[in-house]
Amino acid sequence: MSERKKIDRRDFMRFTGAAAFTGATWMAVGEKAEAKYWQLDPAKCTQCGQCTTHCVLNPSAVKCLNQFDICGYCDLCFGYLQPGSRDLDSGAENQLCPTAAIERKYIEAPYYEYKIHEDKCIGCAKCVKACLIFGNGSFYLQIRQDICINCNECSIAKSCPSDCFSEVPQSQPYMFLTGDTYLAHPPALS
Amino acid sequence: MLEKREFDKSDFLWRLSSTITIVAGLFSLLVFILIIVNYWMIKRADPVNHELLTYLRVEYANAPEKDEALAQRIRDLDLITRKAFFTSQTHLRIGAWVLLGSVSIFLIAFKNMMRWRPQLPELADVPTADKEFLAYAQSRHLITWAGIGLLAGGMMTSYFSETALTAELLAQPAAAEGGAESAAGAGQAAAAVTAPAWDEMLVNWPSFRGPGANGVAHFTTAPVSWDVESGEGVRWSADLTMPGHNSPVIWGNRLYISSADETVREVACYDTETGDLVWKKTINALPTSPREAPDVMEDTGHAASTMAAHGDLVFALFANGDLVALDQEGNQRWGRSFGIPDNHYGHSSSLLAYGDILYVQYDQAVEPKLHGVNISTGKDAWVAERNKISWASPILAQTTFGPQVILASEQDADGYDPVTGNLLWSVKCLGGEVSPSPAYANGMVFVANEYAVASGVTLEGAEGAVTATVSWEFNELLPEVSSPVGDGDRFYFGTAIGDIVCLDAKTGETLWVEEVEDGFYASPILVGDRIYIADLKGNMYVFRTGSAYEELARFSLGEPAFATPAFMDNRVYLRTPEKLYCIEAP
Amino acid sequence: MRTPVAPIAAAAAFLVSTAHAIELKFAPPDFETEYAMPYLFIPPPDGRNTWWEALILFGALSLTTWLVFKARSRRGLFGVSVFSLLFFGFYRQGCICPVGSTQNVAAAIFLPDVAVSWIIVAFFVLPLLFSLFFGRVFCASVCPLGAMQELVAIAPIRISPALERVLGLGKYIYLGLAILGVATGAGFLICRYDPFVRLYRLNDNFGMLIAAALILLIGVFIARPYCRFLCPYGVLLGWMSRFSKFHLQIPPSPCVECRLCEDSCPYNAIDMPTPRHLVEDPAQGKKRIRGLVFLAPVFILLGALGGYMMYEPLSRMHPTVSLSERIALEDRGIITERGNLQADTFRVEGKTAAQLHAESLAIKEQFKTGGALLGAFLALIISIKLIELSVIKKRTIFEPHKETCFSCGRCYPYCPVEEGA
Repeated sequence: MSERKKIDRRDFMRFTGAAAFTGATWMAVGEKAEAKYWQLDPAKCTQCGQCTTHCVLNPSAVKCLNQFDICGYCDLCFGYLQPGSRDLDSGAENQLCPTAAIERKYIEAPYYEYKIHEDKCIGCAKCVKACLIFGNGSFYLQIRQDICINCNECSIAKSCPSDCFSEVPQSQPYMFLTGDTYLAHPPALS
Repeated sequence: MLEKREFDKSDFLWRLSSTITIVAGLFSLLVFILIIVNYWMIKRADPVNHELLTYLRVEYANAPEKDEALAQRIRDLDLITRKAFFTSQTHLRIGAWVLLGSVSIFLIAFKNMMRWRPQLPELADVPTADKEFLAYAQSRHLITWAGIGLLAGGMMTSYFSETALTAELLAQPAAAEGGAESAAGAGQAAAAVTAPAWDEMLVNWPSFRGPGANGVAHFTTAPVSWDVESGEGVRWSADLTMPGHNSPVIWGNRLYISSADETVREVACYDTETGDLVWKKTINALPTSPREAPDVMEDTGHAASTMAAHGDLVFALFANGDLVALDQEGNQRWGRSFGIPDNHYGHSSSLLAYGDILYVQYDQAVEPKLHGVNISTGKDAWVAERNKISWASPILAQTTFGPQVILASEQDADGYDPVTGNLLWSVKCLGGEVSPSPAYANGMVFVANEYAVASGVTLEGAEGAVTATVSWEFNELLPEVSSPVGDGDRFYFGTAIGDIVCLDAKTGETLWVEEVEDGFYASPILVGDRIYIADLKGNMYVFRTGSAYEELARFSLGEPAFATPAFMDNRVYLRTPEKLYCIEAP
Repeated sequence: MRTPVAPIAAAAAFLVSTAHAIELKFAPPDFETEYAMPYLFIPPPDGRNTWWEALILFGALSLTTWLVFKARSRRGLFGVSVFSLLFFGFYRQGCICPVGSTQNVAAAIFLPDVAVSWIIVAFFVLPLLFSLFFGRVFCASVCPLGAMQELVAIAPIRISPALERVLGLGKYIYLGLAILGVATGAGFLICRYDPFVRLYRLNDNFGMLIAAALILLIGVFIARPYCRFLCPYGVLLGWMSRFSKFHLQIPPSPCVECRLCEDSCPYNAIDMPTPRHLVEDPAQGKKRIRGLVFLAPVFILLGALGGYMMYEPLSRMHPTVSLSERIALEDRGIITERGNLQADTFRVEGKTAAQLHAESLAIKEQFKTGGALLGAFLALIISIKLIELSVIKKRTIFEPHKETCFSCGRCYPYCPVEEGA
């Protein structure tokens, strides 16, 4: 064995290098160290239908939700009924949703509640489009954060033609159209 | 004996593992094929775009009466499709795990098979180290060739990709971009147009709210009262079929209006003497036009912008951002697309032409701009950056320091040089969604909008050095849509809840308020010493200018009034949702 | 005509808390019955990307290091590989992985408005730091991509070292392209074309699944093809490993030169002792080195030029550029059929073609610089490789090549030198 030096020069270089490298990466990366989640902005969405097929999951992690506080509770709900439906009822010939994921429930004349069963929803946005054209736009798509596996590059974002996907901070993983009055789990995470 | 048993054991293990390998391998292959078939089935059984189902649904909707059998068929097919879709998905998921399992078994067995494979020990004869070092030269050659190959490949790729479309081509101001698309043909140079002088504009009704869009008619007479129902005072009327909230504009004896719905855009020209339709042109989509209609509010519609008539040319702007220039015969001189404005009610700002420039106030939510468009070519003579969105229209004010184009936006009132587009002054005096256009009279600019404040802005200084200061503010009753008008001493406007308000131009003091039946969308027009204003119910109010309300007439038009009437040569031209009227004093 | 502002819109303004104005066409109903508006079930994200994931990564790296240096257990490493495959692969679904994190870090460096979370930094830095001290222990059994390939590499054959070195250039090209893609905003190429992540999720893009199956099939005979010829992160790990303080040694004690390990490495990562007789005249070798050093700047300039010329095809990987070309072709009537979703949506959104083309041209400018840098980088790498291949280091024992050795421990069982013997 060679004579032991007090400080091995190469080791010193190595440690300095490691520290400098880590420090430089940290500096370059910036101070904002919050985890990010993918989410889609319903205001920019053009309902192209790519969320159904372009998610790495099948069925897609993008689901439709009905924001009740802006829903008109319409009897003639275009998000629920096929265009030109003869009867305003739940017959398959009248339903717009291809997977029958929307449940229609009578409340009082002339109001009906529309609830989306997300296990059946495949994110095709048919109801979103119809509700936006004829109704209040209370149906809209959101990435369900408990299903989404948060890919480094979201493959729907890559193919989204209207650029509505972005990464949102951990504290606000959803992009709702209005306030969070009617959310069971407010998006703020402590 | 012992040795033989050992050999047997490994032989047995080898046989066992190779059998498992083959079985697991074949099984994996089978599962793999099944998964592919299943994947293909899911694609086919896609409930979102199921062809037969879509077809049947259309059949069902189009049948003259309800077809129970067809409904049942749709129900059955829908159920089967959905079931197939969800079952296939479950199968896919299970299949994937089965495949994973069988591949794992295959790999483990294969590994053991390799391990127990009876083999003779290999003997290395040639020293590998020598080969290794001889390979250095080979490596150098290969790497050199790889480098040359990369370089050559790169250059070849870039050379051949030139045949597609290069940056240089994109940069060309080709037909589609940056300016005009000639309808007559790309090769034909746009003929220069002689711009009419200001005097000539004063004897016409070239834009929304008259010459300079300031709400002042430069004629002193107009009929005071008429009755549409009895036909009293109606010179002619014409039926309108297409919707459009814009006001008529007139040049010479020709009246122009535009109309549009989601798919069709039209400009129509009427003879002002007879009311005959001279021509009607459907405006075709330009290559750069948006392919889908914009989202607009019903109250705004697809043709809210009033046209501009300017000598030989008329201009029309539609809600999808398409701007066209037509000549008096209806031939399209040029057209361009500004793209769908980022505007949640729809585009409503009207056109204004002065000199060689057509002013297009494109105040949208993102990158709002004022385009100074050359009337001959349709290209931008200049573009001024704006700050905020608005729904107001530009006005042209003939101030003592020269003409100015005055604009209102969500935040400020701004004055621009009409020729260069330079910002002359800007005052932050507005807030909220601004629809009323500014009014100018006697050195004062008046701007206002609902939920905010009205301000009297005094313009002072000299040509080239104008200063604008807010002289007074007023916030009790404010206009929401209707624009104000000034007679020099006073400003008048109508509110959305049905008041006509008169303010002192110098002090902002309320001189009088007249409560009327309904709110106002149409704007007041000053004709001589009279002001005409129509409310949403279709009541026309005519009153004299002055420090007290002096009503000259109040009568019903028979139809709601959204559009501001045009006044010309002792006649009133009025557009209601379904009719176009020409009123003339008997 | 003024735009009428519907009164309902003003009412809606009270509901709106985000930036988007919503027009309610139908007023929310006033229920007369006791109906209570249901709450939306909006589950928060699960505990992804939290500190314990980094801890597990650190633990796996430490365990691997111990297995490589102390236990010297190929079996143990194999076990960790299985764990990594199951945990980082199938359980965590392959995201975030250190290979992909390279792009996040590059994005944070090149793009002003991008910041990444500390977990991504940890995933990027930890394997590199371990590499700087202990060699590529990350590759040995922690990387889920490597683990999958390691597990299928059953009957590996050795390919010629020359071929190995040429194909190895692929990872530098990939790294360069990936960083160019990130810096210009074209996207994350490594993630987009990661064949293994598709397998963890079991359903995805069909073409990529087939590609993954193919790579694994090749991987049975040519071990770890992705790691050796494509992995961009492997380039960084290799650089670090080159200066590693400790590194896997084939014999635990002095080598007896039995040559048994000669064929044990399927990755061509074992350096042989220098031959006793000279393979070439040293003077000639020295001359070549001088020539190569002298020519290196010329190569780099040539590379930069070539890369610069490539900007046009390279820029097409940016979606804005390809969209702008599509729009231009449509507008000029060269492409007549409609149905391109991106182009159609562009038409609806109402941005003008001129704006798009201006953006596209600005991006192409970036690709001119980026392409030149990429070309220069590749030329530099090639020059260094050529110079390296001209230098013959004196070596008396069999030892792993620090840059390319994956520390997989396949050579351990071949070494007859017992610990402590």
